[in-house]
Amino acid sequence: VITDDARLLVYESDGLTTYRHRPLAVVLPSDTDETARVARRVRREGIPLVPRGAGTGLSGGALAHRPSIVVGTARMSEILALDPVNRLARVQPGVVNADLSRAAAPHGLQYAPDPSSQSACTLGGNVAENSGGPHCLKYGVTSRYVTGLTLVTYRGDVIRVGGFASERGSYDLVGLFVGSEGCFGIATEIEVRLVPIPQGVRTLLAIFDEIEGAAHAVTEIIGTGLLPAAVEIVDGETIRAVEASTFAAGYPVDADAALVVEFDGVEAGLDADISAAARLCQAAGAREVRTADSEEERAALWQGRKKAFGAMGRIAPDLAVQDATVPRTRLPEVLTRIREIATRHDLVIANVFHAGDGNLHPNLLFDRRNADQLERVERASGEIMQACVDVGGTITGEHGVGLDKRGYMHMVHTSEELEAMRRVKAVFDPDGGMNPGKVIPDEDPPEALPADQRTANTSVGEIAEGESP
Amino acid sequence: LSIGTLISGLLPDGQVLEGFRAEPWAVCDRVPEAVAFPETDDEVASVLCMARTHGWTCVPAGKGTWLDGGQPPSRIDVVMSLTRMDRVLEYEPADLNLTAEAGVGLDLLSKRTEPHMQWLPLDPPGLPRGTLGATVVTGSAGPLQAGYGVPRDHVLGATLVRPDGTVLRFGGRVVKNVAGFDLLKLVAGSWGTLGVVTSLTVRLHPRPAADRSVLFSGAGDAPLVELARGLARLPVSLAALDLLVPGDAERMGTGATPLVVARLMGSRDEVDEVQRMVEAVGPESPERVLEGEHSARLYQNVQAVEEGAELVIRLRMLPSRLTRTLEIAEEARAIVEPNRGFGMRLAGYVQAGLLRVIISRVARGDDWLERAGTVVSGMRDAVESDGGSLIISRGPPELLQAVGAWGASGSERALVEGVKSVFDAEALLSPGRLGVV
Repeated sequence: VITDDARLLVYESDGLTTYRHRPLAVVLPSDTDETARVARRVRREGIPLVPRGAGTGLSGGALAHRPSIVVGTARMSEILALDPVNRLARVQPGVVNADLSRAAAPHGLQYAPDPSSQSACTLGGNVAENSGGPHCLKYGVTSRYVTGLTLVTYRGDVIRVGGFASERGSYDLVGLFVGSEGCFGIATEIEVRLVPIPQGVRTLLAIFDEIEGAAHAVTEIIGTGLLPAAVEIVDGETIRAVEASTFAAGYPVDADAALVVEFDGVEAGLDADISAAARLCQAAGAREVRTADSEEERAALWQGRKKAFGAMGRIAPDLAVQDATVPRTRLPEVLTRIREIATRHDLVIANVFHAGDGNLHPNLLFDRRNADQLERVERASGEIMQACVDVGGTITGEHGVGLDKRGYMHMVHTSEELEAMRRVKAVFDPDGGMNPGKVIPDEDPPEALPADQRTANTSVGEIAEGESP
Repeated sequence: LSIGTLISGLLPDGQVLEGFRAEPWAVCDRVPEAVAFPETDDEVASVLCMARTHGWTCVPAGKGTWLDGGQPPSRIDVVMSLTRMDRVLEYEPADLNLTAEAGVGLDLLSKRTEPHMQWLPLDPPGLPRGTLGATVVTGSAGPLQAGYGVPRDHVLGATLVRPDGTVLRFGGRVVKNVAGFDLLKLVAGSWGTLGVVTSLTVRLHPRPAADRSVLFSGAGDAPLVELARGLARLPVSLAALDLLVPGDAERMGTGATPLVVARLMGSRDEVDEVQRMVEAVGPESPERVLEGEHSARLYQNVQAVEEGAELVIRLRMLPSRLTRTLEIAEEARAIVEPNRGFGMRLAGYVQAGLLRVIISRVARGDDWLERAGTVVSGMRDAVESDGGSLIISRGPPELLQAVGAWGASGSERALVEGVKSVFDAEALLSPGRLGVV
């Protein structure tokens, strides 16, 4: 149990530092049982619970936005079973994404979803956010890989849903839970499918003078029936940020876009795929196409994409990382719209994104001390969301709604749909004490939380300590 | 006034069947009072609202392939078939997705996407005329689930009309979407218990340049099982891996033998290489290799393997337990009527750990129901004690009543009931279809 103010500081925000809320306390249970006991005890006091993995989220989802106790998964970091024959693993939620792939590698297997924070982010967090990653273009997102869960609800009930070999008269509660952003319960055990490590990989980098040309190449590559594992675009602003940083990747600074395309799978056919993609890039106006033959060269081509966020931190004090998805064919016009929005609001917007999925990450650079700029950032963010929704897209592709995007939910859902979501949450959490105030806008304050009932004479540290050894 | 007459008033073109004309739409031997064929979301909503006012139960359907699937509903007043809602609403080939009304046939869909060298890799059991909506709502997957996944993996968006007439849209047209709780996931496998699904957006795939099936047969079953196990462990993704054991009658009649089939899809180079890997697994070389159309036709036959069966039992266990799964399946022989139809076939999706026991006709006699019930329950106990599950995907209604289509519900039961009540609190849609709800 952490109650020391200095140590609680770490828990006051996630990867999106715009929001800061310090929790009353942080509890770190070590298994399902302990988690259930913590939940039961905390509920008696009417205090909300907020589940949290590594805190790498980008929507403020794991914050104690109302006075709450954070349940961290740091001590639930064991791989409980690795079954290479059936290609399954059972893990605790605090296992780091990349650690699972590392453990599976000796068996020729890997865990497919690879969010860019994979060396830090946890599988519990991935389940909560339904995380993607560059390679989900070919492999799909987290929900495709989770086959079973053990859940602890706010009431402290332990519920097992799904299971690889379990077919029942039931709804897809596993699929429903994945992406519920910690609002339904805490996943304390997770069963996932593993996949074979691809035999070979080929990567190309194409440089464009017009970002629309890069977007057009993406449509061409996928439209002709090629199946790339990843298709990523880094725009000119980002390239210049990266090249000016210690992460310099050798991308030309006068370019408007760099396109990374990767194929993986059986060795045979990969060369044909990559040269077909290279031809399509050239036809779409690429001024230069580089391909990688070795692992080092491949890492070099990826460098500019992978270090983009780190580099951007150097050119502006604050960064609003946006996330929205549009149908792939609408990318060129949406990119133009975003550029217009940036100009109109006199803002720098750097775009680095999963182009193959149509998943944009326009990053708005700003300085929070400049109130006027902050307001323009908010207006521009709203306009970008609207532009994406207007062409049939959505307000978040992989970062989640959390605290950050509740205000945009009405752009994509009717009030009846939001009400259905609210009621489905109540099925898992009738008291409304699990991560309240997230995802769904204008949620009434949960009944579990009347202010006068919040115990003043018991310290939260005592409450949690009483149950968690 | 009859239910049919009342509903006719809501559907301008009078698409309602009653009496003997409703007989082909019997659900588990029970003929509905009326069969309605709405043409728009509004018509679906108005029929549902009327049903709610009168307290009629309603079973959503497509072409009727799955009417006998799952647990028989506790009451059937109206069957609502979506076969008149079969239009493709939006198809942007470059986006690799398509939106269609739920009543569109999979065959029709495939005709629309073929000119663009695209397809929806779903091959549920049954004939290719089955509808997209029913395939998704019943969560029906076939051999291609090994390489491409199950219906929930293909669906990007859905429109659902709730019994109170509210039209809800889940998901959208994009492949990555986490804007709110993922209610879309409830649609696949909901068996018409939450609402009427009227349209779906699905993700399409490029049609692979090469389609090849590599067939292995053997006199002994044990080496075949060993081979299937070896193929499942290849470090590549096969489009499908199936174990097919023909019925005794077929073995004697047509000389059919047990088969293991690996289906390979991809570029020609890729398929050539995977074929070499596949052939390196077995001690013997393949009996046959079928290419292109021939491979596709073989798999159409595999899809039709349940046709004419009275009882289909699905056993699901970990793939590593294949031998044990086959042992348990053998117990079903005790209830097969000899000399009727093909006898008992087995069809397994090896990588999913799924084995179907397909019985042409269940042996009848004085105490047949008791005997069949004992055998199936015994099989279920054996599978469940090994961490697996058993469901009856179709069978004589009396047997389904006696032993239940689905296994016992675990700790998730309250959640299932809760979700049902969010959508259909009065239990008017396919009540009892999932056993629990």
